[in-house]
Amino acid sequence: MSSFALFFVVLFYLALLFLVAYLAEKKRSKLWINNPYIYALSLAVYCTAWTYYGSIGVAATSGLNYLPIYIGPVMIIPAWIYINTRIVRISRVNKISSLADFISLRYGNSRSLSAIITVVCLLAIVPYIGLQIKAISETFHLVTETPMSNDILTDNATFVVVLIALFSSYYGTRYVDASEKRLGIISAIALESFLKLFFIIILGLFVIYYAFDGFSDIYEKASKFEDFKEKNTFNGIEGAMNWMVLCMISATAICILPRQFHTAIVENRQEKHIKTAIWFFPLYLLIFTIFIFPIAWGGRLIFDGQKVNPEFYSILIPQHFDNTLITVLVFLGGLSSCISMIIISAITLSIMLSNNLIIPYGLLGKLKSESEEKNTRSITNIRKFSIFALIIMAFAFYKYFILKTSLDSVGLISFVVIAQLAPAFFGALFWRRGSYKGAVTGLIAGLVICYFGLIIPQYYFSYNQEFKGVLRDMYNAFGFFTIPYLGRIPQIFFWSMLVNTSLFTIVSVSSKGNYRERNFAELYVDIDKYIQNHENAFIWRGTAYISDIQNILERFLGKNKTEQALRIFNLKYNIDSKTETADSRFIKFSENLLAGRIGTASAKILIEGVTKEDKISLKEVLNILEESQENISLNKKLTEQSEELQKLSNDLRTANESLIVKDRQKDDFLDSVAHELRTPITAIRSAGEILADDDDIPFDIKQEFLNNIITESDRLSEIINDILYLDKLQHGEISLNIQENSIIETYKKALSPLLHLIQQKNIHLSEVNLLNQFIFEYDEARMIQLFQNIWGNALKFTEEQGTIQTKLFEKDGQLIITIFNTGKHIPEEDLEMIFDKFYQSKNQNILKPTGSGLGLAISKKIVQAHGGSIKAENSGLGVTFTISIPGKTKKENRNEVEHH
Amino acid sequence: MKKRHEQKLIILSVGLMIAFSIPISLLFNSDREVLGYPMILIYLSAVWMISIIISLVIVKRYDE
Repeated sequence: MSSFALFFVVLFYLALLFLVAYLAEKKRSKLWINNPYIYALSLAVYCTAWTYYGSIGVAATSGLNYLPIYIGPVMIIPAWIYINTRIVRISRVNKISSLADFISLRYGNSRSLSAIITVVCLLAIVPYIGLQIKAISETFHLVTETPMSNDILTDNATFVVVLIALFSSYYGTRYVDASEKRLGIISAIALESFLKLFFIIILGLFVIYYAFDGFSDIYEKASKFEDFKEKNTFNGIEGAMNWMVLCMISATAICILPRQFHTAIVENRQEKHIKTAIWFFPLYLLIFTIFIFPIAWGGRLIFDGQKVNPEFYSILIPQHFDNTLITVLVFLGGLSSCISMIIISAITLSIMLSNNLIIPYGLLGKLKSESEEKNTRSITNIRKFSIFALIIMAFAFYKYFILKTSLDSVGLISFVVIAQLAPAFFGALFWRRGSYKGAVTGLIAGLVICYFGLIIPQYYFSYNQEFKGVLRDMYNAFGFFTIPYLGRIPQIFFWSMLVNTSLFTIVSVSSKGNYRERNFAELYVDIDKYIQNHENAFIWRGTAYISDIQNILERFLGKNKTEQALRIFNLKYNIDSKTETADSRFIKFSENLLAGRIGTASAKILIEGVTKEDKISLKEVLNILEESQENISLNKKLTEQSEELQKLSNDLRTANESLIVKDRQKDDFLDSVAHELRTPITAIRSAGEILADDDDIPFDIKQEFLNNIITESDRLSEIINDILYLDKLQHGEISLNIQENSIIETYKKALSPLLHLIQQKNIHLSEVNLLNQFIFEYDEARMIQLFQNIWGNALKFTEEQGTIQTKLFEKDGQLIITIFNTGKHIPEEDLEMIFDKFYQSKNQNILKPTGSGLGLAISKKIVQAHGGSIKAENSGLGVTFTISIPGKTKKENRNEVEHH
Repeated sequence: MKKRHEQKLIILSVGLMIAFSIPISLLFNSDREVLGYPMILIYLSAVWMISIIISLVIVKRYDE
C-alpha cells in the first residue's frame, strides 16, 4: 500500500475520532453520560501497542511471560469496589484532577511532593509514549513497505505523530478546570478500545481459519517446535517466581498508571460504573489475550526460519497472504491503541506539569495579579503547549534512545518506575500514620534504584558497548545484591519496592506527624464518614476575610461564577451573606474551587497568601475531628430517635382512629340489637295484654294471638342465637370441621328444607353445574348454613314466579358459587354494607322484617373462615352473590383463619 | 452495594491472588494436556473466566 493512501486512511480515521468526540461533547445525551460501558471501555486504554504488538512478540519468544500484564490487573480488579470507589469519593470532594494531586494532598498538600510525583510520571511515561510512536512509525513503514527515512522532516510517520499531538492538545484542554469530565475525548477512547478489540478478533479469526485449519491445527503444528513445551509451561519455580513478580508489577500499574488514574478516577461520572467495569474489563482482557496465542504461534509457523520481528506478526501475517484490508485494519487497531494511550497520557501529564510543576513553581505570582480571562487563557495554553511538547519529546526520545529496544522492556520499565508511587498511594488510602517525610524518602530511594538498575542499563547501551570507568566499578560493587533466579526487571522491582516501602514505613513512624497531614489522613482513610460534610472535616484556625479570598477566586473563576459559588456555599451552610470573616469551611471550599484549575498545592498557596493561619497542635486536630465526628453520630442518633417517635405517634393515632370507629360500630350494634329485640317483644306484649284484658275473645282469635306469641318468641330466640353465633364466629370460638365433601351432596342437603317454601312462592329454581369434580375441602354444616342464608335472602326479595339460579364452577383452583335471583336491585352504595349486621332493618321498610338480619353477616364470616371471599353485585334483572372458596384449604392457612 | 457484598468481591480478589500464586499455579505446571491443550493455559483461563462470572453475578445480584 502506498504511503499516500495509508496517510489518508489515518487522516480519515482521525477525522472519525474528531467527529465522535465532537458529537459526544455537543449532545451530552444520557446515552453518553450514563453509559457504564463507555467508562469500562475507556479503561482499556491500558492495552497499548505493547499489548497489540509487544505481547505477541513475547508469546512467540519467551512464552507465558506475556500473561502477567493481564493476570495482574485481573487479580486486583474485584477489589476496585473498595479501592476505586474510595479514591473516586476522595477525588470528588477534593476536586482532585491528577495522580500527583491525589498523593500530595494526602501528605499535607505538599507542593514539593507533587512536583516529585510529576517528575516520576514524566520519567516513566515519556519513554512509554515514545514506545507508542515507535510502534506507529514502524508499522506505518511495514504496511507501506517503505524504508524508514532518517530525515525526521520527510518521514511520513512524523506527520502522523504531529496530527495526534494536535488532536490531543485541542481536545484535551477544552476545560480550564482539570477535574471537569471530558466526555468527548473519553467517548473517542471508548470507541478506539472497541475497534482495537474488534480488529484483533478479525485478525485472530483470519489466522485461525484462513491461514490455518482452526485452532487445533495451529496447536498441532506448533507443538512440533522444540521449545513449544518449554514456552507453554513455567520454567520451574524460577520461571514461576519471575512470572509472579511481573503479575504484581502489573497489578500495581493498573491502579497507579497516570492514564489509568485519569480514566478510572478523574473521568468517573458515576460510582456505579465501577461495578460494570469490574466484570467487563477482565472480560475484555480475556478476549484480547485469547487471540495472542494463535497469532504468535501462527506467526512462528509461517515465518519459521525467516528473520522477522515477532512483535509485528500481526501485520506481517495478513501481508504474507496479500490481504491489504486486514493489514490496514490491524494497523488501525494498533494505531488506536497507540493514539488512545498517547492522548490520555499526554493530557494527564500536561495537567500534572501545569498544576504541579509550572504553576506552583513559576507562574503563580503572575497569575495572582492577572484578570480571569487572561488566566484561563494562559492556563489552557500551558496545557496545550505541554501536551504538544510531551508528544514531540517522546518522539525525540524514540528517535534517539529506543529505536533498537523491544516494546516489551520499555513498557515494563515504565511500570516499575510508576510502581514506586505505590507505597505512598496505598498508604494514603489505608494508613493514617504515613507521613510526608516517609513518602518522599521512600520514593526517592526507590527512584534511585530504578534509575541505576533499569534506566541507565536500558538506554546507556543505545550508544555504548559496555560500562566504563566509575559506572563499571559501581555496578561491580552492587553485584552482591544480584538475585540469580530473578530477571533484571523483577529484581529491581523487588529491591526498589523493598527499600521504598521500608523507608516509607520506618520514617513515618519515627517522626511526629504534622497536623495538616493528619487532617487529610483522617479525611482519606475515613472518607465514607466525611463524604457528606467534607468541608467540616477540614481543620483550620486563623484570621481570614471573605472579601480577600473572593478577590483571589475572581481572578480564576470570574465574577459571575465566584458569586454563584458563594451563594451556593451560603445556602448549603446557612450562612448570612453579610458575614465578613471566613471560617475553615470557606477556606476548604475556596481551595476546592481553585484546585481543578491550578492544582491543590497552588490553591493552598494562593489562599495562604491572603489569610493568616494560627498553628494548631496535632492533638487539637484529632480532638476537633473526634468531636465533630461525635456530633455527627449524635445528630444521626437523634434523628433516628425522632423518626422512631414520629412513627410511634403515627401508629398510636391510627390505633386510636380505629378504636373510635370500632366504638361507634359497637354503639350502632347495640342500638340495632335493642331495636331488633324490641319489635318481637312489643308484639308479644301487646298480644299478651289483649289476651289478659279481654276474657271474651273468640277462640279462633285467641288462637291467632297465641300463635303470634309463639312465632315472635321463636324470632326472638333466633335473633339471640344468631347474635351469639356471630359473636362466636367473630372470636374464633367455633372451630371449623374441614373435611373432604361433595359439594353437590351439600347443595342437596341445604336445599331440601327450603323446597317447600320455594314451591309455595312458585319460584323457578335452577342449577348450573360446571364442575369437573365435586370433592372440596370445607365444613359441611357451615356450608349448608351459608347456602340457606343466601337462598333465604334471595327468597325474601324474589317476587312470585321469579328465578333463583345457582351456578357452581372452578376457577384458578377455587370453588366459585354464584347465586342469582331476580328482584329489586341493591342500591350501589349499599353493596358493601349488606354484609353488615342488621343491614336490612335499617334500610328496608318494604316488609316487616323476617329473619334476624344477621344472615349475610354470618355468611360473610363463614366464607372468611374458609379463607374465601363473598361479594354482591347487581346484574341484569336481579342480584348475584358470588362466593369463592379455596378448593384445597392448606392446613396452616386454616389454623390462622380459626384464630382470626 | 452493602458492605457485606463488597467484601465478597474483595475475597474474590484475594482468592485470585492465591489461585495465581506460585504454589498453586505450579501444581498445574505439568506436561499433561487437558482437552488437548497445556494444562497451565487451561487452568489460567478457567480461573480467569470463573472470576468474571463470579464478579458479574455479585455485581448484578446485589445491585442497589
